[in-house]
Amino acid sequence: MEAKNVQNQPHIEVGTNKPCRTCKWQTPDPTDPHRGQCTANRHAMGGVWKRWLRDVENLTCSKHEEGKLSFRDHV
Amino acid sequence: MNQMVSAKVLEYRGKTLNFTPEDPAEAKIPAEELHEHLQKPSTARTKRLKDRCRWKHASAGEFIEKSVTAGIERMRYLTEAHKASVGQPEPIRRALGLANVLNKSTLVLQQDEFIVGYHAEDPNMFPLYPELSHMAVQDYLMSDYSPQPASEAAEINEYWKPHSLQSKCQPYFDMKDLGRMYQVSSMEAPSFASGYNSIVPPYETVLEDGLLARIKLAEKNIAEAQKVMTTFPWNGTTGLDNIAKIDNWKAMVIACKAVISWARRQARLCKIVAENFETDPKRQAELLEIADICQRIPAEPSKGLKDAMQAKFFTFLICHAIERYASGYAQKEDTLLWPYYKASVIDKTFQPMDHMGAVELVEMERLKISEHGAGKSRAYREIFPGSNDLFILTVGGTKADGSDACNDMTDAILEAAKRIRTAEPSIVFRYSKVNRPQTLRWVFNCVRDGLGYPSIKHDDIGTAQMKEFSKFSLNHNGATDEEAHNWVNVLCMSPGIHGRRKTQKTRSEGGGSIFPAKLLEITLNDGYDWSYADMQLGPKTGELSTLKSFDDVWEAFRKQYQYAINLCISTKDVSRYFEQRFLQMPFVSAIDDGCMELGMDANALSEQPNGWHNPITTIVAANSLVAIKKLVFDEKKYTLEQLNQALMANWEGFEEMRLEFKRAPKWGNDDSYADPIITKFYEDIIGGEMRKITNYSGGPVLPTGQAVGLYMEVGSRTGPTPDGRFGGEAADDGGISPYMGTDKKGPTAVLRSVSKVQKNQKANLLNQRLSVPIMRSQHGFDIWHSYMDTWFDLKIDHVQFNVVSTDELKAAQREPEKHQDLIVRVSGYSARFVDIPTYGQNTIIARQEQDFSASDLEFLNVDI
Repeated sequence: MEAKNVQNQPHIEVGTNKPCRTCKWQTPDPTDPHRGQCTANRHAMGGVWKRWLRDVENLTCSKHEEGKLSFRDHV
Repeated sequence: MNQMVSAKVLEYRGKTLNFTPEDPAEAKIPAEELHEHLQKPSTARTKRLKDRCRWKHASAGEFIEKSVTAGIERMRYLTEAHKASVGQPEPIRRALGLANVLNKSTLVLQQDEFIVGYHAEDPNMFPLYPELSHMAVQDYLMSDYSPQPASEAAEINEYWKPHSLQSKCQPYFDMKDLGRMYQVSSMEAPSFASGYNSIVPPYETVLEDGLLARIKLAEKNIAEAQKVMTTFPWNGTTGLDNIAKIDNWKAMVIACKAVISWARRQARLCKIVAENFETDPKRQAELLEIADICQRIPAEPSKGLKDAMQAKFFTFLICHAIERYASGYAQKEDTLLWPYYKASVIDKTFQPMDHMGAVELVEMERLKISEHGAGKSRAYREIFPGSNDLFILTVGGTKADGSDACNDMTDAILEAAKRIRTAEPSIVFRYSKVNRPQTLRWVFNCVRDGLGYPSIKHDDIGTAQMKEFSKFSLNHNGATDEEAHNWVNVLCMSPGIHGRRKTQKTRSEGGGSIFPAKLLEITLNDGYDWSYADMQLGPKTGELSTLKSFDDVWEAFRKQYQYAINLCISTKDVSRYFEQRFLQMPFVSAIDDGCMELGMDANALSEQPNGWHNPITTIVAANSLVAIKKLVFDEKKYTLEQLNQALMANWEGFEEMRLEFKRAPKWGNDDSYADPIITKFYEDIIGGEMRKITNYSGGPVLPTGQAVGLYMEVGSRTGPTPDGRFGGEAADDGGISPYMGTDKKGPTAVLRSVSKVQKNQKANLLNQRLSVPIMRSQHGFDIWHSYMDTWFDLKIDHVQFNVVSTDELKAAQREPEKHQDLIVRVSGYSARFVDIPTYGQNTIIARQEQDFSASDLEFLNVDI
């Protein structure tokens, strides 16, 4: 497993220019569109282990990549 | 490339059984493309309609087809009417809203179609419902599917915020509890937050009476009520009841008149196109015939099969998509259409046609449903991957006198499904030993073609359940013993009454989910969710160090479950409270005999209780408990603390330990260690605790174990579990199905395990994957038939089958464009395989493909 480094975990950076909202690994929360789900955590067996994102405008991490994944790569 | 059938042979009762294809021509078809060769639309027209079908499948919250978006007309006209009707009684405001939408919305008429009508202004669109959940609409506004103009849509959503069901209900709960539900990891979000709903419309009154007769009834009731109010001596204790009744009846009149007017607008449109634009004389004549039907129907009773199909479709659109959103396609279609089939096909007294004419009509109906768009919230665009919504009709079963209810319409419905090959609508077959062989053969033909439906329900169990729930009827007018035979699946799994009254009108009666796998995960962490949301997700039920025995773990889980299920059902009942005050359904009320008689709104009247809730991921939790009992408390090989350390590391560095937990006894193998624990888990906790709750209708709430696509979604929100599962891996794919790949002892061991769970259950979904060569062989039907009779004798509620090879599934993953016709059973619904995310596809491939050994055939007493 990766070392628990705050930079590679979603963490608050108010006003970040790399918010989870624009990250390709993010998908909106199923109920509240102001929150989200991170899908970057994937393991060799093909599983997608999601993490809940409280505030998609002000959370970020070092894995941030602009874009949108195809439905095929989500759950 | 592998050939379809191997040279497999089996020695059984002194005979050598060869599993060569029943149709010799199939031997030449490569296994990797079998399902691309099975469709046989009955006419060139239905082939064209399928080729141009505007599918609206969604997966992972996204629509697969790029052209699909939300429309604005419904929300615009509903809002316009709401603003204009301030001060009027609420039921009348709702009726005026429906009327404004129907009077002003754009009509859609498409090439080649015979069944007409749509619920949005463009066939690539679907309507939204800001009066339900403003969060769900907000999600659309922030997506690629926003209605246009977006500014107008945003303004409308803002207007509804104080008036929406969501806003009415939320204040009665702690936002901390609701926040836990909104995540959909331990509990499904309440319907007031998602807008999700389901209904069983009383189609029978529309087809049998026509809406003009319903209007007359309402007007007569109004006149009688007004007479009572002016008769001496006035009695205020009862007389004032008439005020609400009169409002409801008036609303019913407005709604029925609006629906008739809307249908007649469709008639005029067809006539205008026929007389001014259509150049093909054959289509011209057909358009004039459709115009004639829509002029008469649904105002008047249906007289032939074409009438009945059109009346049914208009009713579906109003009840499921225009008056209010509701998922589902619940109806006993063969019983409902039989009088009209008889008139048109057998007696030829009206709209004469032959049997294949009826088949073509059903194929066209299936394609109309296939292109129906549902304005579902994101959660529901995630959890039915590969489909547009849950459309499930029911056929077969028994009549009130216990005799076979199958008829030639049943066969037409099944034949059409086999020929046209669409994932929607799914079909439920009520299996009884009195069902006629020719219909069973059609059921089998659909199953072995890999449609994943009909899913099979036990006829006696469903009927007995309707009788049991009837005992709790608050107005002592639940289903009679005869009416108890009139049941259909409301959605995927739960039975409910169909007919002219006593049907389920809202999902606040039954529906919604709870997720035991996540609850077990947080049970081992004092209610804290470390793996997904990083927050307290349930009550504090004890730190690990306080769980000294297996009973301690068991009881801590029970407390987590009690908290969650109580919250789930109370949110439904609070929804019900406000539905009947602000979300009245005047049209649905008008076509229900009970609402019409009593002057009540359909959300308010409950004659037949039908409380249910869906535990999903139960087997991951149950297998985990078995592993904990065996390895921690019985054999003491590990401590709970060591287990927790391994789970927190997602088993990394603990592979040997993981394999031991993975190898612990698992459900579905007729295992003497696992099965008693898991049976007790179902009966004592999952069902036992749930049934202690009494819902709005006065009856108990019982578990309907199933999965839809939530076994994937919740799996991805659940950390590693003590059954040896990694964090994020999918959970079990059915309410009582073994975990994928862990049922190693053959198909009859699965049946023996599943049959042990009987107490405190309403329904439980069993997914099985059967061998393609065996099912397509000359012995396939006999083996399947014996399997079904054994299943019936073991009193198992449900079973459904995938019959598709791993080779073909993997080929479709490689080249999806060549496998557009490959359909699979996901859970309570079927889906186009190529429209499912890879994560979900892999869960279907991983399911155990059940072969049959000679001992299995002996157990099933197969007579070959």
